[in-house]
Amino acid sequence: MEEVVQNPDNNDRKFALPVDSEHKATEFRLLSVSTPHMRAFHLSWISFFSCFFSTFAAPPLIPIIRDNLNLTATDIGNAGIASVSGAVFARVAMGTACDLFGPRLASSGLILLTAPAVFLSAIANSPAAFLMVRFFTGFSLATFVSTQFWMSSMFSPTVVGTANGLSAGWGNLGGGVTQLVMPLVYSLIHNNIGSTEFTAWRIAFFFPALFQALSAYAVFFWGQDMPDGNYNTLEKSGEKHKDSFSQVLYHAVTNYRGWILAVAYGYCFGIELTVDNIIAQYFFDRFDVDLNTAGIIAASFGLVNMFSRPIGGLFSDFAAKRYGMRGRLWMLWVVQMGGGLLCLLLGKIGSLGLSVAVMVLFSVFVQAAEGLTFGVVPFVSRRSLGVISGMTGGGGNVGAVLTQVIFFRGSRYSTEEGISLMGVMIMCCSVVIMLIYFPQWGGFFYGPKKGVTEEDYYLSEWSAAEKEQGFHKMSLKFSENSRRQRGRKGAAVPVQSDPPTIV
Amino acid sequence: MKIPAGFLVVCLMFSCFVATSYGVLFSSLKDTLIVTATHTQDQVLKAGEEQITVTWRFNQTYPAGTDSAYKTVKVKLCYAPISQKDRKWRKTVDLLKKDKTCPHKIVARPYTASNNSFTWTIERDIPSAVYFVRAFALNAQEEQVAYGQTTDAHKSSNLFTVQAITGRHVGLDVASICFSAFSVVSLAGFFYMEKRKGKVAQQK
Repeated sequence: MEEVVQNPDNNDRKFALPVDSEHKATEFRLLSVSTPHMRAFHLSWISFFSCFFSTFAAPPLIPIIRDNLNLTATDIGNAGIASVSGAVFARVAMGTACDLFGPRLASSGLILLTAPAVFLSAIANSPAAFLMVRFFTGFSLATFVSTQFWMSSMFSPTVVGTANGLSAGWGNLGGGVTQLVMPLVYSLIHNNIGSTEFTAWRIAFFFPALFQALSAYAVFFWGQDMPDGNYNTLEKSGEKHKDSFSQVLYHAVTNYRGWILAVAYGYCFGIELTVDNIIAQYFFDRFDVDLNTAGIIAASFGLVNMFSRPIGGLFSDFAAKRYGMRGRLWMLWVVQMGGGLLCLLLGKIGSLGLSVAVMVLFSVFVQAAEGLTFGVVPFVSRRSLGVISGMTGGGGNVGAVLTQVIFFRGSRYSTEEGISLMGVMIMCCSVVIMLIYFPQWGGFFYGPKKGVTEEDYYLSEWSAAEKEQGFHKMSLKFSENSRRQRGRKGAAVPVQSDPPTIV
Repeated sequence: MKIPAGFLVVCLMFSCFVATSYGVLFSSLKDTLIVTATHTQDQVLKAGEEQITVTWRFNQTYPAGTDSAYKTVKVKLCYAPISQKDRKWRKTVDLLKKDKTCPHKIVARPYTASNNSFTWTIERDIPSAVYFVRAFALNAQEEQVAYGQTTDAHKSSNLFTVQAITGRHVGLDVASICFSAFSVVSLAGFFYMEKRKGKVAQQK
């Protein structure tokens, strides 16, 4: 499929959606598939969905798999932890790959490299093999980073929260849908085709594997990295400068805001991953529901993603309209605290009906917090957007590993104690959000520094030598477009042109 | 998504009220049946291929009339303690409704005091584990009233092992490996295509 190639300095409107000076869409039209913006959206959420679907395809079939592979509860727990730990580093690596090669190649590449792990799940024959396939399949969750990066490249700051929230939320949906669909696929193969149990689950795994591989092909053939073309075309024709890996990494790692958001994300998304792994057995053990019912309850936690994460993104953009970046930060803190409180409550409730209701409300808050976090991420850095997204995403998985290891392994805490303690930890860790400060926009407690502009902040990522060669052009455009993050009050302030250097 | 969640909540609340917490306890049952099987101590049997023959009869040392309430006999394959270790889903619980020790049914027959036997081919969905055989006698209300088993009270003697099928087939193995290889090869192809496109753009 032909990519839409456009001279980035040309402002003729050849796009289906209204665009800003970087040719990023300023409107989000969900039902459109127009190239390149909305097509990128649909490709990214579907491919991410397929990765989530594959990563959590095993849990609903565990009752069959554990008998076939002779797994103990410890084996199952370890495989669950393995499934989310691979992505910790994969997400950071993915961020770098996006900065250097573009989201289209980075994501289709990763998805195709992890598809073998899903295919090979069908021939796993021991607890060790099971752990390995879950570990490598989990790497595919790094496509989250390419999704966010791609949305941040295609959509303007005013709608980027919405775009990020929808693409990530609908991707996360895969973790819920799989709990309903995999048992159905298994039944189809076992009952209608007549395969024996221990063969049927193996055949069933071809479904997520093929879905995943096909989505990678779709991304490769139908997607493009930026509104004006793909990285390699833009780089070779001189329109886009191919950045240096060490500089990109340096500017990400030295930006403290990236680390803070990584912690914040560890305590919303990390919690979601943890709950995905433990919630079915919680309801099964504490309330004695049967395995199918426990699966439906587990699925509903993930299915809420359909609207709750996008709502987080919407709230972020909405808060920014009036209060700018400060509004985004306040909203994030409030929602994250709310999630922590509900989590604390969840562990204390002894009645099934109320427990399910609180769980659903808890999932809304947790997932909205995820959307709100990624309403802030696109603004932390322009040059190292990929690595920052990767660090934040990786932080999410670290949170999942830490939480499962501390509260949900062995018999130190009962599951309900673990859940309540997890709630306390969420609330404690959300304090770090108060430490984020943007000199040009302000932070949680303080307003912006006088005279500091968006250009000062974003151009400080480039050295004088690099600026002389014109490598910083896209950061200039981004600075202009992010003026709205001052909120209603600051938007009218004129821009000075004497830049001090910023931390 | 809101409507299914609400419906689910109502359903679950109803099920709370309906659930009963009383039932037959295993410790209340009398060991009045003598159950034997043709396996030898610690024998390994292959699922789907090998067989065991189970016989059961009423233990005549108990007073006559003890078995007057027995209507049916259910013979089951049960996990030995070693196969329940670190596997909560096979837990032994005294309340028989919640007990997960004996999930696999071998046969169900109307009750007669003697001359009962059944030859069973071990089914292909039986997992690899260590087992014994237990028979329950049920009354007309389908409640357990007595039992007998091939092992002792500690479930440590006369156990046998089942070796399950793997579930794998050559066709599956081949398909799995071929698709995996194809994914990686096609990725290499993509990179090559990208490089070529880049060169073309450079020449423009």
